[in-house]
Amino acid sequence: MAETAISVSGLRKSYGDHEAVHGIDFEVEGGEVFGYLGTNGAGKTTTIEILEGYRERTSGEVSVLGVDPARPTRSWRARIGLVLQESEPDPLLTVRETLDLYASFFPRPRPVDDTVDLVGLGEKRDARVGTLSGGQRRRVDVGVALIGDPDLVFLDEPTTGFDPAARREAWNMIEGLKRLGKTIFLTTHYMEEAQHLSDRVAILRAGRIVALGRPEELGVGGGGTVVRFRIPSGVPPDDVRAHVDGAELEASGNEVSFRTGNPQRALYQLTSWAERSGVELAALDVRRPSLEDVFLELTREDGAS
Amino acid sequence: MSVGAHPAEPGASARRDAALVLKQTRYGLVKTTRNPRVLVFSIFFPILLLVLFNSIFTSGGDATTKFAGGRIDTDAYFTAGILAYAIMMSSFSTLAIGLTTRRESGELKRMRGTPMPAWTFITAEVARVVVQIALMALVMMLIGHFAFGVDLPGDSAVGFVVYVALGTAAMATLGIAITAFLASADAASTVAPFTAVILSFVSGVFIPVETLPNWLEEVGRVFPLYHLAEGLQTTLVSGRSGTGLDGGNVAVLAVWGLAGLLVAARRFRWEPLGRD
Repeated sequence: MAETAISVSGLRKSYGDHEAVHGIDFEVEGGEVFGYLGTNGAGKTTTIEILEGYRERTSGEVSVLGVDPARPTRSWRARIGLVLQESEPDPLLTVRETLDLYASFFPRPRPVDDTVDLVGLGEKRDARVGTLSGGQRRRVDVGVALIGDPDLVFLDEPTTGFDPAARREAWNMIEGLKRLGKTIFLTTHYMEEAQHLSDRVAILRAGRIVALGRPEELGVGGGGTVVRFRIPSGVPPDDVRAHVDGAELEASGNEVSFRTGNPQRALYQLTSWAERSGVELAALDVRRPSLEDVFLELTREDGAS
Repeated sequence: MSVGAHPAEPGASARRDAALVLKQTRYGLVKTTRNPRVLVFSIFFPILLLVLFNSIFTSGGDATTKFAGGRIDTDAYFTAGILAYAIMMSSFSTLAIGLTTRRESGELKRMRGTPMPAWTFITAEVARVVVQIALMALVMMLIGHFAFGVDLPGDSAVGFVVYVALGTAAMATLGIAITAFLASADAASTVAPFTAVILSFVSGVFIPVETLPNWLEEVGRVFPLYHLAEGLQTTLVSGRSGTGLDGGNVAVLAVWGLAGLLVAARRFRWEPLGRD
């Protein structure tokens, strides 16, 4: 069942003189949630639109469900569901009518009412789309993406503009899709979301993939614990350094942070020194690196090149 | 799972596509009844104009006016002219605005990403307009007949139907074609109705052509609205025999329609302009 859903090698795309994507390689296995991450302008949208069949590539090999998306066929479209970044369903139709209309486009659609419930709009099935909130309209979008019962779903920033509760609901829904065996290609600006949902992620920087793998392989939740705090002015960071074994301190102004492979020992040393010297460690924070930390490190502008 | 999993059943797939056209046409009509802009500008406004013009300018039904088709009762002249205007609003203007709006919202792009064949979408858009205009023509002719004593076409009924159909087709393809040059829904909402109103002044819709200066009539004659109005007016000259079809009017409408079709087929965009 682990058929390869998407395979990309040596993908390049230029717009005039500007090369937006500089040779990208990755594969997405059937049934996985693949997070495709990057800052604005990194080439995310270009890649996803090539995979969706909207844009031609300049060079490289691309296969989506065994078909070259540059030559989309009707039966290929029938196996793919799309949530586009910028797309509003028609405001004049009701939720149910919208899904009924889109269902007629597909050879083997899901039942309409069932899909309305799946995206959590059961209460709103007879409301016109134009009267719904932004989050609810996005759910109509997701419903439209699922109505054809696709094998592969592209979710391009599906929760942008959601409040935290709506975002949690959307996550539950996406996890539900994964349980149904769908392959999901996800882009998002919310690293917490990518970390929560993705089996694997690719991080894109200036048209190249700079990291690819399971979040823990990229150092999420590993590679030491990050300890952060503020010291009072007048206390030199070197004092901290002298009391915590082998800590590589990073200090900017009063903000001090270090990584440690032995947080229990480091914290004991740090806090006993602080207590003894009467130093208050304000905003003390101890955590494992999140995908956001990894992402920020990899996509930092002053980084490589 | 193989990709080409459909058994070859051309009949079944043609039936499915026909059902697809019907479904999209039906929802298109549902949306029309819920769209205040379309209801006001394409339906209510032309009917209001019909009543106003025939009440103000026809001197109790005695006035006549002269045009290429001969001498005609002024109320019949205005009824046919305003119908031509209604056809332009319902097909040209509604399609230009509707399609640019839906292109801007990303709805067209989204639909392009489904297995729905593009031709079923365009056919359904035009079919919706045809139904809308058929009803409008019926309502306007009945109002003209019962309120203002306009004679319904007799022998020339064939010509009347041909002009309504040909005019609708030409205006519809032009409405689709012009979306290639309109960057936004805002632009479309200004340009399309404005074009219809301006042309109406020089096409024998709001003002009889006999009162126009020659050069202005020549300007009007270039555009399809002039020929649609003149054609419809010819078929409403009371007591005339024959179909009322005139080679010149038919030819100009057909040429504009074909030009629209050509541009629409080559330049229609599913994604907002200014990208790629």
